[in-house]
Parts: sequence; C-alpha cells; structure tokens
Amino acid sequence: MAATSAPVPAYPDDPSRRGQRPNVASADVRLPAVRSYEQVDREIAATLHPSLGWFALLGVAILCMLIGAATWTYQIYEGLGAAGYHPPVMWGVYIVTFVFWVGIGHAGTLISAILYLFRAGFRTSIYRAAEAMTVFAVMTAGLFPILHLGRPWKFFYLIPYPNWRLIWPNPKSPLVWDVFAILTYLTISSTFLYVGLIPDIAALRDKETNPVRRQIYANMALGWRNSDREWRHFARAYLFLAALSTPLVLSVHSVVSFDFAMALTPGWHATIFPPYFVAGAIFSGLGMVFTIIIPIRKYFHLEHYVTLNDIDAAAKMCLFTSLVVGLAYLTEFQIAWVSGSTYEQDYFWNRVFGQWAWAAWIMLICNCVLPLSLFSQKLRRNTTWLWMLSLTINLGMWFERFVIVVPSLSHEFEPWRWSTYAPSWVDYCILLGSFGWFFMWFLLFIKQLPVLAISELKEVLPPKMRHPHVTSSQRAEHGGMANPLMNQPPLGGSH
Amino acid sequence: MPDADNSKTGGPTVRRREFLKVVGASGAAAATVGCTSEKVGKLIPYLVSPDETVPGVSTYYATTCRECSAACGAIAETRDGRAIKLEGNPEHPLNRGALCARGQAALQGLYNPDRFRGPMIKQNGTWKTALWEDAINVAAEGITRARAAAANAVFINQHESGSFPVFLDQWLAAYGMRPHLSVDLDADHAAIEANRRAYGVAWPRLNFADAKLIVSFGADFLDGWGASVAQQLDFADARAKLENGPRFVYIGPRRSLTGLNADQWIPCAPGAELAIANFLSGRGAAPARDQTGVDPAVLDQLRTELTTAKPSLVLSGVTTDNAGEVAAAVAALNQSLGNVGTTIRNAEPITAFDGMSSPAELFDTVERMRAGQVPIVFVRGVNPAYALPKSLNFAEAFAKVPFKVSFSSYPDETTELCDVILPDLHALESWGDAQPVRGTIALQQPTMDPVFANVRASADVLIALAKKDPAAAGRLTMKDYRTWLSGRFPGGDRGLTAALPHGLSAGTIAPRTAPTPTAAPRRVPALTSTSGDYTLVVYPSPTLGGNGANKPWLLELPDPVTKVTWGSWVEIHPETATRLGIDRGDIVELRAGNATVRAPAVPYLGVRPDVVAIATGYGHRAAATLPKFDAKSTTNPIQWGYGRYARNLGVNALDLLPPGTGSTGEFPLTVTKVSLTRVGDHITIPSTEGSARQHGRGIAQAINADDLARGLREGGEHETRPVGDASHEYLPGLRSPVAADAQGVLGAPSEPDQGKNKGLYDPNHPTRMASRRWAMAIDLSRCTGCSACVTACYAENNIPTVGAPWQNATLFATETPGFNITRGREMSWLRIERYFEGADEGRFGEEFETRFVPMLCQHCGNAPCEPVCPVYATYHAPDGLNVQVYNRCVGTRYCSNNCPYKVRYFNWFGYGEPDRKQYAFPEPLNWQLNPDVTVRGKGVMEKCTFCVQRIREAENRAALEHRELAPDEFTTACGAACPSRAIIFGDAADPQWTVAKLAQDRRAYHVFEELNTYTAVVYLKKVNHPTSAAAPAAPATPR
Repeated sequence: MAATSAPVPAYPDDPSRRGQRPNVASADVRLPAVRSYEQVDREIAATLHPSLGWFALLGVAILCMLIGAATWTYQIYEGLGAAGYHPPVMWGVYIVTFVFWVGIGHAGTLISAILYLFRAGFRTSIYRAAEAMTVFAVMTAGLFPILHLGRPWKFFYLIPYPNWRLIWPNPKSPLVWDVFAILTYLTISSTFLYVGLIPDIAALRDKETNPVRRQIYANMALGWRNSDREWRHFARAYLFLAALSTPLVLSVHSVVSFDFAMALTPGWHATIFPPYFVAGAIFSGLGMVFTIIIPIRKYFHLEHYVTLNDIDAAAKMCLFTSLVVGLAYLTEFQIAWVSGSTYEQDYFWNRVFGQWAWAAWIMLICNCVLPLSLFSQKLRRNTTWLWMLSLTINLGMWFERFVIVVPSLSHEFEPWRWSTYAPSWVDYCILLGSFGWFFMWFLLFIKQLPVLAISELKEVLPPKMRHPHVTSSQRAEHGGMANPLMNQPPLGGSH
Repeated sequence: MPDADNSKTGGPTVRRREFLKVVGASGAAAATVGCTSEKVGKLIPYLVSPDETVPGVSTYYATTCRECSAACGAIAETRDGRAIKLEGNPEHPLNRGALCARGQAALQGLYNPDRFRGPMIKQNGTWKTALWEDAINVAAEGITRARAAAANAVFINQHESGSFPVFLDQWLAAYGMRPHLSVDLDADHAAIEANRRAYGVAWPRLNFADAKLIVSFGADFLDGWGASVAQQLDFADARAKLENGPRFVYIGPRRSLTGLNADQWIPCAPGAELAIANFLSGRGAAPARDQTGVDPAVLDQLRTELTTAKPSLVLSGVTTDNAGEVAAAVAALNQSLGNVGTTIRNAEPITAFDGMSSPAELFDTVERMRAGQVPIVFVRGVNPAYALPKSLNFAEAFAKVPFKVSFSSYPDETTELCDVILPDLHALESWGDAQPVRGTIALQQPTMDPVFANVRASADVLIALAKKDPAAAGRLTMKDYRTWLSGRFPGGDRGLTAALPHGLSAGTIAPRTAPTPTAAPRRVPALTSTSGDYTLVVYPSPTLGGNGANKPWLLELPDPVTKVTWGSWVEIHPETATRLGIDRGDIVELRAGNATVRAPAVPYLGVRPDVVAIATGYGHRAAATLPKFDAKSTTNPIQWGYGRYARNLGVNALDLLPPGTGSTGEFPLTVTKVSLTRVGDHITIPSTEGSARQHGRGIAQAINADDLARGLREGGEHETRPVGDASHEYLPGLRSPVAADAQGVLGAPSEPDQGKNKGLYDPNHPTRMASRRWAMAIDLSRCTGCSACVTACYAENNIPTVGAPWQNATLFATETPGFNITRGREMSWLRIERYFEGADEGRFGEEFETRFVPMLCQHCGNAPCEPVCPVYATYHAPDGLNVQVYNRCVGTRYCSNNCPYKVRYFNWFGYGEPDRKQYAFPEPLNWQLNPDVTVRGKGVMEKCTFCVQRIREAENRAALEHRELAPDEFTTACGAACPSRAIIFGDAADPQWTVAKLAQDRRAYHVFEELNTYTAVVYLKKVNHPTSAAAPAAPATPR
C-alpha cells in the first residue's frame, strides 16, 4: 500500500506522453503503481482477509435479508393483499424491483463480454466485480417473479416439465419467455464468471495455508496447472463465452421489456421498449458498478488497480447511456403525441403532470439531468461525486421502472377503474430484503474470491520476465493487442 | 366448500341432520385425502335425501319476498335442502320474474350469522338462552300481568299484506287487546293518503308506457318508492320505446337514482314543490326564483309541455313537512290533466300498502308509552328504537313499559331493550300469504327446514302463547298457523296445495279491518322556522332500505348514485365544497339544534348548493358496551346493534330530525336545516368510483330520440371512428376470430378434407359448442342503474364481500370499514359504472346527464387476457367463452393488466377459507354458496363466467331430453334479476335468439371497439329525450 502514499502522475514510464491529458478512450491501460506480479498477488489476496467492518456489513445484509424472508413468509400465509396492491394496479413494487435487478445484471456482462470483444482496456480492473454483481443481481431478480405470484408454490407451472396431463406453459406469454431468458442469462453469466475465475482460484489455492480452504479452492480450480495448453483452451473458452453472452446482453432485457411492450396497456404498448430497456439496463448497471467499485477501491486500497482512468472511461459510458435513455423518454412522449390515441396522450400527461408527476420527475432528474454533470472531466474523476451520482442513478432507475409499471396500470382505458397505488410495509420490507440478499452474496464473494481479476491484471503489466524492456505502450505500437490473452504468451497463475 | 367441523349450529343438542352431516363429511373427507396441497373438504347436507330431491339438481319453490311491503313473487332455488338463490317469479303480477338487490339479499337475512339461535330471556339485565317452554311461560306471565290494562297493549308489526295481520288481530282480540300497528316507515304515507283520497286506492298501478311526459316531484319510483320493481319494469318498457317514449322531468332538491334517470332535473328549493305543483295546476303565474330556486321560464315551459303532452303522469314523493299538501295538489293535477284512469290505473290497484298504520299512530303510541299507559309491547319485524328520530327518545319511553316482547330474528336496537325474545322464522322458512294486487293471492311457503332448529314461526308461537291463557285459548282453537291459513284460502287446503307450485292464485283474501286512525298528526315545526345554512335532505338508502345493514351483500353494493359502500356519507354540491374548502372524504359535522352527526363529505352534482343530503340505513348502535368483534373467535357475545356488519357502521341521519309528522300523519324526512362544518379529519371514502367522467372514450354512448327517429347516427364521439378501428367483419354474428380459427372458419373451405378447415373442435359434438357464440346485449336505454344484477351475481357466483373492517391483513393493518374497497379490491364481477356528462366544471344550474353502464367480462373473441397467461389458466372455449381455470392459475395477474375493461378480480386474501379472519361466508352464510360454482382460493384471478354453470346445465338438460336448446331458454343471473330487462343473454350465432337480433340493432356498439377485441357484449345506446315536442328545452349536451 505504500505505493499509493504519493500521487503518481499518469504514464510515468512514457516520457513522450507525460503531462498530456490522459486518454482513457485508448485501448490500452496502464497500472503505473503496480510493479510486479508478486505485488498483484499480494495485494489482491490481501483483500480476502475479513475485517470487523466486513462482518458488520455482512450482519446488516443478513438481517435485511431475514426481514425480507420473514415478510415473504407472512405474505405467503396471508395472501398478496398484505402488499399494497390497489387494483387495477396489479403489478407493483415487486415487478418494479424485478426489472431493476435484471437491469443491474446487465452491466456485468456488458463489461466483461462486450467490452472484452471490443478490447476496451478499462474493463480489466472492474469486470470481476461487475460480473459477480451480475450473477447476484440476476439471482435477486429471479426471486421476484415467484415472489409476486398469487400462489408462489405453484411457480413450477411456468416451467415446461413433462407431465402426463400434457399441459405446457403458454409459449405466447411473455412471462414464459421471461423464465427462459432469466434462466439462460443466469446460467451463462455464472458460467462466465466461474470460467474467468479459474486461474485466480488456482492462484489462491497455491497461496492458501488453511487446508480446508485450500481443498475447496483446489476443487474449484478444476486442477488448473497454468500450462500453456490450459491457457490456450482457457482463452478460447473465454472468447466463446464472451461471444455467447454478448447477444444475451441485448436479448434478455429485450425479453423483459416484452412483458410490457406485448401488452396493450397505454404506456406499455410501444416498440421502443427493447432498445430503451437495454440502454436503461446498462445505465443502471453502470450505476451499480460505481456504487460497488468505488468503496471497494477505497477501502481495499486498490486505487492503483482501479485507476481514475478506468473510472473516467466507465463514467463516459454511463453518460452515453444516460443520453440514450433520455432520448428514449423523449421519443415515448413524441410517439404518444403523434399517435392520435387519447389513451396514450392522457396517460403520458398524467405521468408527467398528473398524479405521478413526483415519480416521473425523480426519474427525469436522476437519469437525465444529474448525469449531465459527467460531461465535466473533473466530476468524472471525482469519485465522491461519482459515487453519490451512482446512488441517484440507482434511485432514478428504480423509479423509471416504477413510472413504467404503476402509472400505466393506474390510468388505463377504463376511467371508472382509474386508481392510485401506495406500497405497504410488506413491499418495503421485501425490497429491503432483496438488497440484503444481494449484498449478502456480494460481501461473501469479495472475501472468498478475488474481486479484481488477478490474472488479467498481470497481463496488463509489462511482461518483465520475458521482455523487460518493452513497455505496454510500445507493445501496442508494435501491433500488439490491448489484451494479451489473444496473442501473448499466457501469464498469471501462481508464479 | 365449508368444512364439516365448522357447522357448529343449532341448539344445545345434536340433531339427527347435524349428526348425519358430520358423518357424511368425515366419510367424504376420509375418502378424498389425496396428494394435493389444498385442503379438500366436502359437506353433504343430506346423507339419505328425501325422495323428491336429486343430489346436484336444484329444486325450486315459489314463495313471496318479504323484504319490503310490496310482496314480490320469488322463486327459491334450493339444492340439497338449502335455499341458495332467489329469483323473481315470472308469473307474479308485480315483479314478473325480476327481483331487486334487497330481495336477492333476503338470503343473507336467512343465513345471517347473527340471527338468534333460539329464545332468550333477560334476567337481571343480562340475556340468557332459554328453552321455548320457559320463554313462552315468561311471555305468557307477562301477558297475564298486563291483563288489567290489556286494551292499552301494543303490538307493533311490520306492515305486510295477507292473512297474518288478520290472524294477529284475532289473537290480540282474544286477549282483549287493540288491533296491532302495521308499520312501514319506509313507505310514503303522504302519497298513500293522497292516493286514497283522490283515486280511492292506496296505490294505483302506474302506467308509464302510455305517458308522453313523466313529472316526478321527488317520487323515487325506481328506488324504493312504492312497488319499485313493478314500476321499474313498466318504466323501462316505456323508455325502451324508441318512438314516442316518455320524456321524464324530475323536480326536487336532490337528484336521486330515479332523478338520474330523468331527462331534465329541476332543482327546486326544498319545500317549494307545493308552489310549483300549484302553478302547474294552472293557478297563477310562475313563482319567482327566490321562492322556488328555479328560473320561472323553466316552469312556464314545463306547464306548456304538460298541457300538450297528454296523457302525462305526475307523481309526488316529497318528504318535506308539507308532503301531504304536495301529494294532494299533484293528485288534483293528474285529475285535471285527465291522467286518472289512463296513466294512473286506479282500477288495477296495488294492494300491498292497504291497511298500513300511519306513522302518527306510532308516534302517538310512543307518547302513550312515555306516559306509562302501556302495560306490554310486542315488536315484530320493526326496529323503532333505530328507525324513529333520536329526539323522540324512544328508548326512554320504551323503558316505561313493564314488559316487552320481541319476535325479532336479529339483535337489533329495539330487541336489546326488550325482556324476552321469541325469534321468528325467516319468511323463506315459514308459511304466509300476501295480496300484492287486487285479485291475486301470493303464497309464501317454507323453502327449507329452518336454518336454526330452535327458532319458531311467530304465528305458531302466538298460538302456543294463547294456549297458556284459558280465555284466549278458547278463542284461538286452530292447530297451527298453516291449518288456519289453508282454512281461509279459497279452495281450502287442497286449493292451497294446488296453488303452491306457482306461488299464486286468483282470489282475494279478506283483509284486516284496519282500525280508524285516532292519532292526530303531531306536526313537526315548519322547515322555514328552523335555522341553519343548509337544508338537510334525508332519504332512504336505495340499497339498504330500512333493514339491509346487516347483510354484507347490500353493504358492499355501491350506492347507485354516489358509489359509496360500507358507511355513511354527506352529499354536498361541489360549489359548496369549494366554497367551504371541503375535499372528498373530509369529515363534516351536521348540526341541527343540539343534535350532531359526523360523516365524510362527498361532492355530488345532484344536490342544490343550499342542501346537504344523507341516506338512512346506517348508524346502528348497541346500547351495551361490546368488545370489538373478533372474526376468528367462536365466543363472540351477541352482536347487539344489528349484528357484526351493521354495528357502528356509519351514522343514523334520523338523529338530526325533530320528532313529529306531517299533515297526513306521514313521517317527513326533509324537515330541518343544519349547519355544516369541517372538523379536520379525513378518510378515504370506500367508493368504487374511479373517474366519474368517461373522457370522451365512448364507454357509455347515447343518442337523442329525435336523431334516432330520423335514423341518424349520433353526432359526437363515434361519428368519426378512431384510427385503428376494428373491422366489422366479425361483429354481425359476433363470431370470434380465435374461435373461428379453431373451428376452421378461417381455413380453406374449398378443400373440405384438409387439415385446419375441419377445425379443432368437432362441429357435430352433441353440445353444438363449436357453433355457438354466447353473447350479451345490454340496453342502456333500459338500465336504470339500480344494481340488482350486481347482488344477483354475488349470490349466484359465490363472490366474497371484502369490505368488513376485519377483512384486511393481520399485521400492522388498519381495521376500517371498507378498507379493501378503498384499495379497489372489491370482487364484483359485474359493476355498474356511472358516468356524468355535462356540468364539467361542477357548476350548479348546468344540466348534466348520467349514464349507467353495467360492465362485466366482455368475453372477447380476441381476448387480450388469453395470450399473456403463462400457464393457460385463461383460454378460449369453442363457444366463445373466455374461461378462467382457477386450479391452473398461479396469480401473475398479467391478464388483468392486459384487460382494457378491467373486469378481472384477484383474491388478495383467503376470503373462502373458514379459518381466516377475512372469511367472507361465516357460518351459516356459507350455506348459501352455490354448489355449482367454486369458492375461489387465495391468490387466483376470477371474473365473470357468463354463468357458465347455467349454460352447461341448460345444455346438459337439453342433451338429456334429446333436443336442441330452445332460443332464450335460460339466462344469466344478472339477466334474470334485472328489473328493467336491460340484460339479454344468449347465443349470438343463432339468429333465433333475442341477443342475435339485438346485436343488429342500430343503437348497438362495442366498448373500445378500436382495440380489436371483438367483444361478446353489445351495448345499445341510451336514448335521451332532451327536448319535448311542445317546446325545445335547453339542449342537454349529450356526448
């Protein structure tokens, strides 16, 4: 940690670029304060030692999770009436939170798969945390469709299991598509996470002294021996998984958006929903990445791995998706305006200037106005500002889903059934429980497995052992790729 | 179905039927234990059934409804010995097959969980259950003690026509007591008195069909004034005449449900009706605006109209202190217009109101009680402690009576003050007769064994009482009441038995000789002499009537005007509300002298700004202090205050009224002015109303009679069709594209042997399912908004009521009446939407129009709910029904989200589970449950099924009889109940059914046609008569 005691200017080993504006959009990344593979191993492994603060946070998370679980038990016993539903608002906080968590789950795969294929160097330091976040967010999201059922104990009716009655789920229903989309996404993203973890687990295995943990790591490492052959297979597998995951980033949230777009409810029935939802999902996912990575970076003293350059680059993506989302909002209004449909026009007027104005403006300010600050590089590189902004993005994106779900249902075709909606304590407790559940898994993860990808970080370092005179920028100039996995002798592992 | 162990009913001993029930239930439960998470319970009322009953097949008994004085004919459907549904008797001259909501809810009086299980005696101020022997002895001793002053004894009986009043007078005479008081405080005594004087009969038959103009001075002939079901049928028939239908003008300070059906409302000041009636009779110039609150030009125009539109029909039902004078003036007006004999058929009188005692006599009797002159009081079917103004202080007067006997079935306020309770059987459990119209006797017979074995018919109890007294016994020698009844029936016992299948017989029962009224009217102070800023209009609740507050169906039934449920409200004009800063739901205090009443305010366009209105029927209170009702406990004390549902619910508007009568001895309701103040509290009103305006969405459409006559389409909203309008390809036959596709209609008809053109469903299936399209036509020109269909639907389809305070969640939940309704969670498969048109800014003086739309599942041919269900819990049946499979439903509620009509309802709580506090059918209300319909579990979606159980029953019956279904052979529960014949159900694919013809009507339209849902419900536009032939009135802005 001594390496961070003094500020280090960018590109210390490249005099030709010293003093220039750091160009984080370039494909390359440098970790100036990281000198050796041993330092990477040591510093990342150090994050695995549990601290008192970690136990406290885990306790809070588990407590929240238990509150949620107890509330759900009560809700199952009592019936869904315990929640705040107010027909015809038949979907409320649970579906809102479902879409929220699915959205969060999108940034991880985007960062680890799409940016991998695009060779965006800044992904290296943040992708592991984002990927873990993805898996846990999808695990959280997956609870909600069950949790919101009137008869959750019958949820398996949605799964096409063989039965002698020959009754199958309805392939026309977007909810059935959801089941497949979410399960596929959970499978792929957890596989992706695990495959990427294998070399790191092997590294931990080799460092571990506790025999039990060592055995567990050994089992999880699947006998990784760091051979060239393994690296070749690994690289191929990783590439294919990245290619497989990439369309999922687009398709899963498109399918989730079909829950709404396929219905004829005013405010839902719009062809813009799939791209709009994907952009929103990435936006919210990046928000959550900031929420998670900034404290990790600070409290694990990983500033020299997760550099401001990386954060700056991610913030630019965040800004871009915010603009896409804002455009989508405007397009919705414009479509409603030109649609000639009184139902749509009434609904959108009611959304922004009627009973739901407060929610709509929370959404608009958090998602479209505040992120404009990211045009300023100063603020992009100000982690405090960015972290606070990430909280408002999370809030804003939760409210985006709220504004989609609730006001539409409360202001539909039939004026006699126009209504309102207010969540009850049951909704709030289960919402809290979902955060408890998510953070419980995430906190457990960061103390068991490396939250930064050890092997990939090593790849970024100049391969001193073999070509100590070649800096990474020179490597790039020589036609090298940003990610050495593709064409460099594999590095990393336990040496 | 209920569990066996919940049938803790009856007396202290185990009865044979009870025993058999338990045996049967345990056996059935043992036999059906399977691998399912749901509890399976079965209850077979009969193990060995009587010969004439077939398990699973209904037996029907004709009887007479006794919920109000009119005595409509009813058919009780019984299944395995239990009455499960009431419908109108189609042969009955009054209701002709229809039955109002209160009549439907008689079943909840029969199975009311708070009914007395047996006689009770008050000992040292506490109530003890007693054996009949002891209770009768106690009552007999009381009568003996009163012997000396027997002439001053009082028997207050509910007014009814038929033999019982005669019997009662005989019984009283045997003791030397004076004839009983026959009391119906809901009846319009002023009108009866005026009718008697002018037309010679208490209630003439009103012939709406021949009238060209109907003028009503506050006569709510559709909601409780007179024989309202009969009047509603006649009125709807008249209004459905597309040529020369009558125009209807309503005059009064408050626009009631009847007023909302009028083409024009003349909001006169309370009490000004007399001046207007006199003016219309041709006396003098139009009264000035400051006298009547009405523009004289409007009155001039009405007079012109009256002189040209002949015959007309003028009615008076005002409730001010000068009601008698108005009624007399109106009668004179009818006579001068030549309406008597044409539209007022006094030759065919409705005799149900004959022999009624005037309220003045009741007031007089109370004063005699107060003076200590009355030695004994009997009360049967009347609740004067509740139904008389608080200022009369009935309880104090009643306490001065040494001995008081109640025959009430329910723990009402008067009964609580009595000394002994001899609970009466319900009308559906006992014998009786009625004379609804001259020349027809209606019979009342037990439709089932008594729900509680330890309860006895009052008539038989009276006979048993008389046997205790040697003198009386000698004069009352009949064996039991039925013997006596058949003895005086034309044709004797044999004639009675022969008439029972129809419940009717030609003939006349000798009525009781009503005693000459002796009591002078005790005039209330004139309205003008009272002080306060607002005149208080008190009106009888159209849904509750005087005795409906203990029936959850009626409490859950939204008031047809304001759509409020489960509690009282105060109607104020929106202008008044704005001026005083009162919002909907703010608690306001009405004060008249020292009397105050607090209730939430509801701004309503249909009251004058200087008037506040409040309905009666709520505000039952127990005299004793009772713990809060615990729905899960079986050891609740007697629910004084008219039962668990009624107690402490709302306020009693009569608390504000001064004691006294009008000039004809009637009980006037609009007699005082009040002050109105906001007290700071606010509640969410349990109302089912979302938006009162349809925002130009064409849900309720109307057409002017003139335009209709000219064959024009309506100008306005649906003149130009919205973008994306449905093709009309399927509309004429109402075929559904989904069903048509499955049936092969969309296949290749030219290639008869190929694939899809044969269809998924066999066209030769014996039910002919694939060739049918069940559909419904709803004629908005007939619909009056009375909501009888809604209660009929609750009764037929086991719909739970959800508004009781304890039906909310268990933890951290508020227990307010109607909480679930404030959350929009009512389960009413069929609802009546009430949309206002005009007076958009809520200003007084602008004409507004009301349109009622019965809204139910539209059984779309292209249903949005079907594709979104992930588990096929809702799907399309070959006969066009949109079917809901409760067992398959997992409760995603996506179907409801996608339903444009919002007619799907979700089971938020376990309303059908007996061990929950949300249970909607506490024993023995569950006896009423229709065994053909599932009681839905927690967490599933439900909706209107078009009474699929009735469809299948009719199909099966036809199949068993080897014949085709006859056109219009059966109808749904709502269609059967509808007192205006607005709902017609049938097979739209078969041109012989009425519905197929109505679907071709030029007024026909579908709601949200542009959504391509191909609905099976066809609405026929309402017909407005904004202008008269005589003089063009201000246009009523139909849209």
